[in-house]
Amino acid sequence: MTMPRWTREPLVHFLIAGALVYAFFAWTGGTAVDPSSRVIDVDRNAQAELALQFERTMGRSPTDAELDAQIEQYVRDEVLYREALRLGLDQDDAIVRRRLVSKMDMAAGAAAEMAEPDDATLQAFLDDNKERYQTALNSSFDQLYFTDKTAAEAALGRVLGSDGWQGIGEAISLPPTMKSASQRDIRAQFGEEFSGVLAALETGEDWRGPLRSGFGWHIVRLRERSAGETGFDALRQQLSNDWRSAQVAERKERAFDLLRDAYRIEIDR
Amino acid sequence: MMRNWTKFALAGISALALSACDSLMPVDEAQSGDGEGTIELAEFPDRPYWGDTHLHTDNSIDAFGFGVRLGPEEALQFARGDTVTATTGAEAKLARPLDFLVIADHSDGLGATRRLYDAPRFLIQDETLLRWHDMMHESPEQSQLAIAELITAAANGDLPEALRDPEASEENTRDIWTTHLGTLDRYNTPGEFSAIAGFEWTLMPDGNNLHRVVMFRDGSDRTSQVLPFPGLSTTAEQLWDYMAAYAKDTGGQALAIPHNSNLSNGLMFEMTMPDGSPMTAAYAAKRAAAEPVVEVTQIKGDSETHPFLSPNDEMAGFGVKGWELGNLPLTAKTTDDMLAGSYVREALKRGLSLEEQLGANPYAFGMVGSTDSHTSLATGDEDNFWGKHTGNEPASEDRAVAAQNLGTRVGRFGWNYLAGGYAAAWARGNTRAEIFDAFQRREVYATTGPRMSVRVFGGFGFEDADWDGDWVRKGYSEGVPMGGELTSGADAPRFMISALKDPDGANLDRVQIVKGYLDSAGEMQEQVYDVVWSDMESRAVFGGKVPAVGDTVDREAATYTNDIGAAELRSVWTDPDFAEGQRAFYYVRVLEIPTPRWSLFDAVRFGITLSDEAMADSVAQERAYTSPIWLRPSA
Repeated sequence: MTMPRWTREPLVHFLIAGALVYAFFAWTGGTAVDPSSRVIDVDRNAQAELALQFERTMGRSPTDAELDAQIEQYVRDEVLYREALRLGLDQDDAIVRRRLVSKMDMAAGAAAEMAEPDDATLQAFLDDNKERYQTALNSSFDQLYFTDKTAAEAALGRVLGSDGWQGIGEAISLPPTMKSASQRDIRAQFGEEFSGVLAALETGEDWRGPLRSGFGWHIVRLRERSAGETGFDALRQQLSNDWRSAQVAERKERAFDLLRDAYRIEIDR
Repeated sequence: MMRNWTKFALAGISALALSACDSLMPVDEAQSGDGEGTIELAEFPDRPYWGDTHLHTDNSIDAFGFGVRLGPEEALQFARGDTVTATTGAEAKLARPLDFLVIADHSDGLGATRRLYDAPRFLIQDETLLRWHDMMHESPEQSQLAIAELITAAANGDLPEALRDPEASEENTRDIWTTHLGTLDRYNTPGEFSAIAGFEWTLMPDGNNLHRVVMFRDGSDRTSQVLPFPGLSTTAEQLWDYMAAYAKDTGGQALAIPHNSNLSNGLMFEMTMPDGSPMTAAYAAKRAAAEPVVEVTQIKGDSETHPFLSPNDEMAGFGVKGWELGNLPLTAKTTDDMLAGSYVREALKRGLSLEEQLGANPYAFGMVGSTDSHTSLATGDEDNFWGKHTGNEPASEDRAVAAQNLGTRVGRFGWNYLAGGYAAAWARGNTRAEIFDAFQRREVYATTGPRMSVRVFGGFGFEDADWDGDWVRKGYSEGVPMGGELTSGADAPRFMISALKDPDGANLDRVQIVKGYLDSAGEMQEQVYDVVWSDMESRAVFGGKVPAVGDTVDREAATYTNDIGAAELRSVWTDPDFAEGQRAFYYVRVLEIPTPRWSLFDAVRFGITLSDEAMADSVAQERAYTSPIWLRPSA
């Protein structure tokens, strides 16, 4: 179908959607009128609803002037809404079409959204997706920073024979010591390259390196490394989230396949 | 006339879907609250936490109109570092996860899209609908059958008469909001990722952008007691009342973040009340209390300053092109006299002047960057730009040269979009409360995408020798961090500034101080100082200016090298032009060396030819703006 250029303008979609919104505000607002009617009756009930709506939003009753403004706004919306319908602006609307498609998907996934998986289900899910839940590493290390690689290499010799190590490196606003830092935290502060190489180092009391980072070069002493807290209990919420997402996706696909089977689809080649 | 079946089909399907959301998953208490007491906190804020406070999902009516199909859940997965499939099909992932996310769907859209439909109660009272409801819960196959039945019935006009309930629409909104809050709680992980509740309040008189993002400190126990405040037919003062009422009624806290002042045609930061009458002290105080932070940079341009307002600032004008033409939908052009009310630096200056007159400063705000992405994908990275909305995700390969949807064909083009910025929060740990409190005390800063660490402390006793010791401790104990206030006396203020490059990004060109002040005649003035820059020996000041850092960008390949610039720049700086008792603010601006913008990455990846103007704009010096430190005369 070829549509005029303006119909592809997202701003127009927005405006039409806005009109629909107003339309349904009015519709769910409780006045059971035929949209084709040219009578707008703002009776006491309708006014009470407007006042109630105002009160729920503002946390207080409207003043007379505010209620008048609400009524005025309601009338304006109602007039434009009905005129929009007379113009057929609701017909063949891309937003409505898309919304329906989306709702079908949502409905298909709804049962999965509701389900509360038991531990056995989650354990099975964990077993099936082990690589996604690799044990997090926590590292404790000291580091000294140098602009040049040669300076870092030279310092490696000096720090070995020295009692105090702090002050041997060059000044930079990075923590000289990280305690039980997660891989994520190390990456955030030292960058991808450094955190990657550090993760592959063995622990020990000696200084190693130099390791490169986005800042320059570092020599490090990796004092301790422990597996992060990744027992089943710690992962439970994440597993539950991920399991649910997987279920929703799977159900959407199955539901679509089922519906699609009822169609004969002809595509000219 | 509207066809009834459409109406009822929408209502029915929605009701079915919504009914699924009535019961919330139980979530661990530590995850569902504000995070206080859940993790061990550092003594001082020890690192910046990175986030986006301004993301739209399919709950936003316009995002949906633009075509996004990803919701809050996918948005949270993406932000914490997972791979998700974008609406247009490709896989999307952040190179580095974010630490926090505020999903800020339009409050009007949020309720309204769902009010398109009807309430669950409606189902229970009608036999046919109740049957469909039960089928829904039996299996996905049954639920599809139910919907097929429903649509058929609706099309044939056989749908049962619906009961009308004046509270139905309200209930629907509440359902959506409650469900959303439950999703946030499920992804909120103290110490790792903060999923923060919020919404966007979208006031736009005549197309002039007065939008605010509202951000909550609390978990669903408190946020579920209110609904997002509508932008239609309300005023900013009413929004602030709503926030105050929320705090009073629930014991929680909320703050509002104005954004896109650059598209307000001078209305965001007026010297007067919105109706043009003189500003009152009460209004100024109320605004200051509700709005401690502004969003200074995002996809729809940068609002720090405009070359017209800052003619002596050679680095002014970043992210201004296209946006300076007019208001949001370009229904009204911007004239020079409007600019002062549209840009943040000028607003900070106006704040000084208003405070002098009124005793309260309505514009004493800190600064953050964010995306305002409508794709559910919170990314401000130049090499990973997923578009302003689904219509310009990377699947639209010519997006950089295409006309924009807003104000199309009158001068705004794809390349005018920035990739978006990030908000950095100096906090003692990563929880909702810690992140929110950093915003509240303005210890936050904006970047246009890179994650450089920027610290600034203001005081009177800092010295160069402080760098050798625990300077952070000294900064906190003898001075104030960004966002703080000092009393203006006889001594010139000193600032201890450290800017560390993004560990995975470009080197730094320079660190500047932007000072705004009232001169002896009470006139608003500004001055930009180059404080410290890379290779200072070889880049000596010439003709009053620091020579340009250079440019390593290969336009053919969209690459750069870190052969120029510095890994860290730091300095203790004393204001050389201070006058006793002066009323002033100082903020730090950090510039990176030139790097490719998203438009150049697109040109190389997709083989697009940029216009000369777009090409000239395809390389830029990304930057950070800290929240100011204020100097106020003693009362």
